[in-house]
Amino acid sequence: MIPFRIRLERRLERHWWQTAATPLLSILAALAAGAIFLLIEGFNPLTVYRELFEASFTSRYGITDSLTIAVPLILTGLAAAVAFRMNLFNIGAEGQLYLGAIFGSWAGLAIAADLPTILGVAAVLIAGAVGGALWAAPAAVFKAYFGTSEIITTLMLTFIALFLMRYLIFGSKSYWRDPEVTNFPQGKKIPPTARFELWSDTRLHWGLVAAIGIALLVWAIIRFTSLGFDMNVVGSSQNAARYAGIPVRRTVIVALLMSGALGGLAGATEVAGRAYALDPNGLELGLGFTGIVVAALARYNPFAIILVATFLGGLRNAGVALQGLPGERVPVEVSLMLQGVILLFAIGGEIFSHYRLSMTRLNTVAAA
Amino acid sequence: MNDTAIVLTLAAAVAAAVPIALAALGELLSEKSGVLNLGVEGMMLIGAVMAFQVGDASGSLWLALLVGSVAGAVFSSIHAFLSVTLRANQIVSGLALVIFGTGLSTFIGKSIEGKPLATDFTPIRWGPLGDIPLLGPLLFDQDPMVYATIAIAILIAFYLNRTKAGLSVRAVGESPGTADTMGIAVAATRYAHVMAGGFLAGMAGAYLVLGQVPSWSQDGTTAGIGWIALALVVFASWRPLRVLLGAFLFGFARRANFWLQGEEWAPNIPAEFLSMLPYLLTIAVLVVWGSRDLRRRVGAPMALGVPYVRDER
Repeated sequence: MIPFRIRLERRLERHWWQTAATPLLSILAALAAGAIFLLIEGFNPLTVYRELFEASFTSRYGITDSLTIAVPLILTGLAAAVAFRMNLFNIGAEGQLYLGAIFGSWAGLAIAADLPTILGVAAVLIAGAVGGALWAAPAAVFKAYFGTSEIITTLMLTFIALFLMRYLIFGSKSYWRDPEVTNFPQGKKIPPTARFELWSDTRLHWGLVAAIGIALLVWAIIRFTSLGFDMNVVGSSQNAARYAGIPVRRTVIVALLMSGALGGLAGATEVAGRAYALDPNGLELGLGFTGIVVAALARYNPFAIILVATFLGGLRNAGVALQGLPGERVPVEVSLMLQGVILLFAIGGEIFSHYRLSMTRLNTVAAA
Repeated sequence: MNDTAIVLTLAAAVAAAVPIALAALGELLSEKSGVLNLGVEGMMLIGAVMAFQVGDASGSLWLALLVGSVAGAVFSSIHAFLSVTLRANQIVSGLALVIFGTGLSTFIGKSIEGKPLATDFTPIRWGPLGDIPLLGPLLFDQDPMVYATIAIAILIAFYLNRTKAGLSVRAVGESPGTADTMGIAVAATRYAHVMAGGFLAGMAGAYLVLGQVPSWSQDGTTAGIGWIALALVVFASWRPLRVLLGAFLFGFARRANFWLQGEEWAPNIPAEFLSMLPYLLTIAVLVVWGSRDLRRRVGAPMALGVPYVRDER
C-alpha cells in the first residue's frame, strides 16, 4: 500500500511565470518523449532535433519559410480562439478556410485583374472572409436558435466544403479550373494584382503583416468594444448575460461568424500569398485543425497565438525542409509525430497552471 | 439478378459499412460514459498500421486484427488520461490524438508504404441461403467481420440497456455527480469505455487494411471514415442498432458512385455530391432531432464533454 494519496488541488493564485513555464516545460517533456520513439526506430534524437531546428529556425530561408506557414496558422488560431473562449466549439475552421480560398480565388480571377495591387489583394481577402463567415452561418444560426451542437455541424460542413472544392477543380469544368492545363486538373492562377508581394527572394509574403494586424484587431475588439464585453459575459455565463440584457443569440451568431470570417481569411491569404489558385492539393491540408491546437496552446490569447503559430509553423516546415537536406536522412514523418507529442504534452501540462499536485499522508495507524 | 449492379453495390455497401459501424460503436461507448473522443481517425490509423505490420510479419489475419484493436485501445488511453485524469478540453485533446496518430502511424508505416498485403477475409457462404435473390448476397455471402459487427452492435445494445453495468455507464454519462454518490467509480468507468472505444476503432482500422484496401497508406487507408463515424453516432442518436442501419446507409453513399455511373437512366450526379450526402444528412438529423428541448429524448448524454471534478461539484 502506498501511504500517500496524490491529488490535484486548485491553485489559489497564479504567477505570471507559472503561466509561461507550463508550455515551455511541456515542450521539453514532449521532446524527451519523442526521443524515445526516435531511439526505438534507430535514430539519434539529438541529431534529429538539431537538424529540425536548423532547418526551420537558423537559416534565412528556414525562418522565412516557417513564417510563411505561420501566416494561415495565426488566422486559423484566431478563428478558433474567438469561438472557443466563449465555449463555442467551432472546429470547422478547416472548411471555412476552403470556402475562403474558393471565394478569395473567385475575387482574384473575376475582379482583381483591373485593380491596383493593394485593392486586388483586399478584394481577395474580403471575399475570403465573406466566404468563411457564410460557411459558419448555418452552424451559428442552428446553434443560436435550436441549440444544435456546433461541434458536429461545423465538422460536417468541413467535409462538405472539401468535396465542394474537389468538385470545382476535379469534378467539373468550373470557373476556377484552368482550361489550358489538360493533363492534370489545376486551379486557374489569379492575376499578379491579386497577389501579396514577396519579401525579396524569399517565399515570405506581406500576408504576415496582415495576419499580425488582424490579430491586433481581434485583441482590440475583445478588449475595448462593447461587442467584446458582451462576448466575454456570454462566454462566462449565458444566464448572467440574459439578466444583464445582453442579446445572447445575436452575440453567439456574431462570434461564430467572426470565427468563420477569420478561417476564411486564412484561406484567402493562402491563395493570395502562396498557392495563387484554388488548389485542393497545394493548399496545406490540416491548417484549420492545427489552428485549434494553436489557439489552445496560446490559451486563446491573440499575441501568444502569433508566437505559437510561428513555432508550429517551424515544425511543419521542418518536415518539408528535411526532404531537401543531404546527409543523414531524417524522415519527414518525424516532424508530424513530434507535433502530435508536443500538443499532447502541452494539453496535459495545461492543468498544472490551474492545479497543483498535493500529497497527503494517509492515516496508516487506522489501516494497521 | 444477384449480379446486377444494384445488388453488387448493396452487397459492397454492407462491407463498407463494417469499419464505419465498428468505429461508431466504439465512439458510442465512449460518449455514453460522457467522454467525447474526436480522435477516432487517429486511433483507426494506429490500428491499421499495427495490424498491417503484424499481418505482414505473421501472415495471421486474426492475430493482426487483435493487435490492431489492442493498439487502438492503448492509443486511446492517452485521451482517457488527458480528459479524465488531467481534465483537459476533450475537443482539443481528441484533435491532438488525430494529429499524433497521423504522424506516428506514418512514421511506423514508412517501411510498408504501398506494399501489398496477401491476407484477405474469405466470405462465409451460408449454403443455399446465399442464392436467395437480393438477401443472399447482402446477408449470406459476406466476410466474417460483417457478422461480428452485427453481433457486437447487439451486444452493446444489450449491455447498455439491459444490464446493471450498462446502467452505471449511462449514469456516469448523464450525471457523474449522482453516479459518484451511488458509489460508481466515475473515472474508472470513463477510462474503460474510452479504451473500449479505442479497441473498436483500432479494429475498424485493422479491418480496413486487412480486408478492404490493398495496401497501407496514411491518407488513403482510413479516408475520413473516423470522422464519418463521429457523425454517425449523432445520426443514430446514440443507439447501437441504429448505428448499424446508419452505417449501411453511409456505406451505400460511399459505394453508390460506381453503380450510378454505369446506369443509363441515372442523372449525372457528380461523385463529390454523393460523397457530401452523409454529412448533409447528419446536419439535417441534428437540426430536426437535436434541438435543445429534444436533446434528452434523442439520447445525447447530458454530461458529454464535461470533465468530472469531485471536489468542485
